[in-house]
Amino acid sequence: MNILNFVIKKIYLITLSFFLSFGFISSSYAIDITIWDLSGRNGQDEFYDNLNKEYKKINPDVNIILQTFENEAYKTQIQVALNGNDGPDVFFNWFGEDSARLARAGLALDITPYANVEGGYGNYISEGLSNTTAVNGKIYGVPNTSVSKYFHYDPAFFEANSLEVPKTFDDLLNLCKDIRAIDSSIVPWPLGNSERWKLNHVITMLNQRVVGEENTAADYNLSASEDELFTNPAYVEAWQKVVDLQDAGCFQDAPNATHPDLTRSMFASQISPMIYCGTWCGGIFNGEGFSDFSYFRFPEVVGGAGAATVGFLVPSGMMVSAKTPHPEIAAHVASFMVSDDMALQAAELMGFMPSNPTKIGEMSNPTHWFNFYVNDIADKTGHVNVLDVLLEANVSNAYLDMGTEILNRTKTPQEAMDFIRQVALEAKAAM
Amino acid sequence: MNKNNTQTNIFSLSNDKVSATILLVPALIFCTIFIFIPAIGTIVGSFYSYSLTSMNNWKWVGFGNYVQATQDEYFWVALKNNFIIVFASIVLQVGVGTILAAILDRGIKYGRVIFRTIIFTPMVISSVAVSLIWLIIYDPNVGILNAIFKSIGLSTPSKGWLGDPNISIWMIMITAAWQNTGFMMVLILAGLQGVSKEVYDAAEIDGATGVKAFWYITLPMIRNVLIVAILITTIGAFKVFEFIFVFTQGGPSNATQVLGTYIYLQAFNLLHMGYANALSVILLLIALFLGWLQLKSSRKA
Repeated sequence: MNILNFVIKKIYLITLSFFLSFGFISSSYAIDITIWDLSGRNGQDEFYDNLNKEYKKINPDVNIILQTFENEAYKTQIQVALNGNDGPDVFFNWFGEDSARLARAGLALDITPYANVEGGYGNYISEGLSNTTAVNGKIYGVPNTSVSKYFHYDPAFFEANSLEVPKTFDDLLNLCKDIRAIDSSIVPWPLGNSERWKLNHVITMLNQRVVGEENTAADYNLSASEDELFTNPAYVEAWQKVVDLQDAGCFQDAPNATHPDLTRSMFASQISPMIYCGTWCGGIFNGEGFSDFSYFRFPEVVGGAGAATVGFLVPSGMMVSAKTPHPEIAAHVASFMVSDDMALQAAELMGFMPSNPTKIGEMSNPTHWFNFYVNDIADKTGHVNVLDVLLEANVSNAYLDMGTEILNRTKTPQEAMDFIRQVALEAKAAM
Repeated sequence: MNKNNTQTNIFSLSNDKVSATILLVPALIFCTIFIFIPAIGTIVGSFYSYSLTSMNNWKWVGFGNYVQATQDEYFWVALKNNFIIVFASIVLQVGVGTILAAILDRGIKYGRVIFRTIIFTPMVISSVAVSLIWLIIYDPNVGILNAIFKSIGLSTPSKGWLGDPNISIWMIMITAAWQNTGFMMVLILAGLQGVSKEVYDAAEIDGATGVKAFWYITLPMIRNVLIVAILITTIGAFKVFEFIFVFTQGGPSNATQVLGTYIYLQAFNLLHMGYANALSVILLLIALFLGWLQLKSSRKA
């Protein structure tokens, strides 16, 4: 009986202390807004410190808490967290199929009502940009930046070896051969495909250049008829271009075993003279000590159906969890992140291409790459979203897998497209 | 007097039962929350089609997910890889661990503690950290393994140690062996140290020394320890996840896919939660069978 008494006493004490601590917490008025974002961005900590300080000026009872995650892990963790009860209030996402799926599943909050309230995102960003997050006419996100991709190259190397920036895809092949002819140990274009997405970005552009965005649209959203789905022979041609790049000696020997970070370092340390890298890369190269680089667009494919003035663009930004206990404040915080001053800070500290460009002219000493990215994105006649964000999950995975197979030469371009078509047919049937 | 004694005994027996039940309650609550409910949820979920982002939209498919598994090429690849890992782990971890334990037990006179500590040390490092370190070693551009091979005039795989579907699984096995062999060595060493010296003395009189003594005396005497070591390794090989996930995420081209990573891929990347549940049930059945074997052999031991 002594044991029983002891256990009962312990349970009583634990219960009492739980309710006392709960009462203590609920007597406080502070509201915590947790934001989940990707890790590894230059200037990120400073930006969020400033965001917290600035937001406290208009709402002193709100604490903004940042939690960051590594890129690949984040894609899974955010889905798990949104289904649980301990997820973030505001979270980062790429706008495309990934964000639309969360919206359709009711895990992301419809923030349309918060657009035009005082301090709402509608005061800061264009309707067109907001609509990139729309599902069935409702807005589910606040884009705060967009990422694009360019070839970055070492102009000193090009000049010293009388090399020219390629204008066409054939020029690019010849450039790789010329660089190998100078020194066969130089890797002209290091490709780190160990996580599979690097080549996916290349095939995204090759599909646009060769197949053309008008011809890909119905295949990408699986609305093409079963007889036509992914049957355009230009898709095979696009994969063949990857084989051509490999045959021209553009990549190093083992792209599927090379991490993307390493290839960035190969360029930043001037071991390799060019790399196809995102708008987040300029700051990374600079951080690794190389800032005298220049850039060019993905070259035109002569005879292809897509225009060379169309570029790669993935809008990204913040969504609000449907489970947040503070929807109004969470939407307000997401909106505040794109307010004039915070957008300027995001550009200055993190190198964002801001969705709100109101104060972009006030940037102190913008970097040359920042100026190039901003102006070039504005100059483009159209944009394509990247396949691993845009496509249905199974088709996206098939494209990622086939990239690995093509580089390993374990599948031919035709076999790769046959496989992708089969997966697409199954995905369409399951819709 | 007898009656009183009986009453006291009954009272103390029921008192013990109450105490035992109360003491078991916390463990039962935790087991129910963290093991039984998820396991039942997994079994129930395996008969439905749903995804992580459509938790309110479950569609009954009966045994459809299990039928799909039998027709899924990559499920069989994953299962085959699990068996390869079992075989390789037994050879590399238990086999090498036994040899190292025998050397430490009777083969060397000095420095046993130092060698044992060095060999055991990788075991205390997290598998993820070990994988990240070996990822650098295997890197085809800056890795030390390539440099060593090239320095002695050997060629290296053109697709990389982890990029070549024919060898990547074996490279992961080497790393797993590097980390876990020390544990097997310590386990078997404990068994070896339980073998009486008198047995060896008697064997020596009969002319059995060295390898002969190891083969005819040591191995039979530690048979039960070896069985437990093999079962621990086998179960670990079926549960393997971290090494594969960090090294290759199941690639290249699903060549290193194992059940653990394939379940993860189906659940979280391809959003087939019901199918992932069915695969988990299959893995659970395999683990239960192996666990039953382990219990049976432990009792014999």
